[in-house]
Amino acid sequence: MEKLREMIINGTNKGIADEVAKLLDQGSDAGSILNNVMIPAMDEVGDLFQKGDYFLPELLVSARAMQNALEVLKPRLVQQGIKGAGKAVVGTVKGDLHDIGKNLLAMSLEGAGFEVIDLGTDVSTEQFVGAIKEHKPNLVGMSALLSTTMYAMKDVVEAIDKAGLHAGVKIMVGGAPLNDDYAKKIGADFYGADCISGRDYARSVSG
Amino acid sequence: MTLNERVNPGTEKQGLFPAEEMTSTQRVAALLAGKEIGRVPFFPFSLGFSALNVGYPVATVYSDPGKSYTAQLLNQRMYGYDQDPFLGYAAYGTYEFGGDTNFPTGANIHAPSSVRFPVTSEKDIESLQLPDPEKAGMLPRALEFSKLQQQNGTGISVVLPGVFTLGVNLCSVEKLCMWLVNEPDFADKVLSIAANHILDVVSLWVDNFGVEVFMPQLWEPAAANSIISPRHFERFVLPHQKKLHERILALGVTHILCHICGEQNKNLPLWSQVPMGNPGIVSIGNQVSIVDAIKYFGDKCVIAGNLATELVGQGTAQEIYDTARACIEEGRKAPRGFILMTACETPPLTPPYNFYMINKAVRD
Repeated sequence: MEKLREMIINGTNKGIADEVAKLLDQGSDAGSILNNVMIPAMDEVGDLFQKGDYFLPELLVSARAMQNALEVLKPRLVQQGIKGAGKAVVGTVKGDLHDIGKNLLAMSLEGAGFEVIDLGTDVSTEQFVGAIKEHKPNLVGMSALLSTTMYAMKDVVEAIDKAGLHAGVKIMVGGAPLNDDYAKKIGADFYGADCISGRDYARSVSG
Repeated sequence: MTLNERVNPGTEKQGLFPAEEMTSTQRVAALLAGKEIGRVPFFPFSLGFSALNVGYPVATVYSDPGKSYTAQLLNQRMYGYDQDPFLGYAAYGTYEFGGDTNFPTGANIHAPSSVRFPVTSEKDIESLQLPDPEKAGMLPRALEFSKLQQQNGTGISVVLPGVFTLGVNLCSVEKLCMWLVNEPDFADKVLSIAANHILDVVSLWVDNFGVEVFMPQLWEPAAANSIISPRHFERFVLPHQKKLHERILALGVTHILCHICGEQNKNLPLWSQVPMGNPGIVSIGNQVSIVDAIKYFGDKCVIAGNLATELVGQGTAQEIYDTARACIEEGRKAPRGFILMTACETPPLTPPYNFYMINKAVRD
């Protein structure tokens, strides 16, 4: 299991699927691989990122390795009836085509065992509300890179409130032009300065 | 209405402030020549804002050289700032190399962004060709724009990304970042192609417009430390960027405006090894202090910065005025000179009064 842990931390994608398959073949429990090796490994990656030892490239290669490992593990997890840490809907708001912030959040949440419904970019208020109704997530995450598009977040929060959905879902927002004040002003529950703080918040409200 | 009719409607406009003896173009030239300039120049980095201010959609600043030039010139006259009209955007390169760029059309979309990258796999790098700079993407429009700059006697510029941002615009930030770690040869190849293209474009401008009043602008947001480490910057970005600047200066260009965008504090010692001209202009974001910019570039470059765009777009008039004054006071210590500049593009929907207050701070 140590090898798998190191592969995730070092972002070694080549051979990671085989490594997971080998562990399963040897009788390791899928839930144990996920919860005792893979998620803690991604947590270490997150810590390194927050400490400034890792940057985006290192985070991305680790997240990719994690995703490929998860692909092998998922059927076994489903088979064993192991549920994820929670469910999140994520998207970049209307008018904004930048996806890097949203993708990082999605990868971080998946790395923490969440099921992620990724709505993509340029997502309308109606699409966010519709996805909440359909998927019943614990969280909805909105991203905006532009100071001009962040205003669309306010419309989404208002629409979620109006539809009576806010009681069942936490709303988190993030992106370069945002800050905590703005998140509070529009009625969001959390502002994430980076994807790791977003992941930590998701955990804190999904336990 | 023709450009001439719009900008010269019978009586010369004085703008919101009394006319000054020096024109904006003259003031910037004097600053670069180390001469007395009277007051600190102001570069507002306002593209979409200029368009909206004269009743054009934001898209016109990118799609229509005549309207773009007109809007910026009218805005410059109205507010009396010093940045001559320019044409450019940070997502440059995707379209020029055969990908797709979304130009702003909707109510909320205010800047071009890449939607389909020309490089999607390692295989694509092998077949990636340098585009013809006279024909590729938006470059014909940029050439047309520079002809207007020349005809109207304003500074001539071409706006291009730094090598890393152009690399990102060719293959996406995710892919290039992952190649830095796992496929360094691919990353190097992309950055080398990016540098060669930038040089091709600058060479074309030198051939067409000479070097006397031409200043290329290189914008580098993607190499920020919010994305890559100083280690990766040193290994991948610095060699290409440094060589590129050396080659540009070897063409006879005397000043490069380099916009070191965003959080680049850990890169500053590395950027300081990149020649910018004599002097160059180094423009910084609000994440970098003016004090640090002077420390690393002040002996060789004019420092430009660093009003936060969030503040300009959403702050109170008094906050904006006070911050602008504080920037000017810090900037006065720059030995080669200082330009008050926004940290990045002024948000298109900035309240005009906020914009006015920056200009007021400059004149007070």
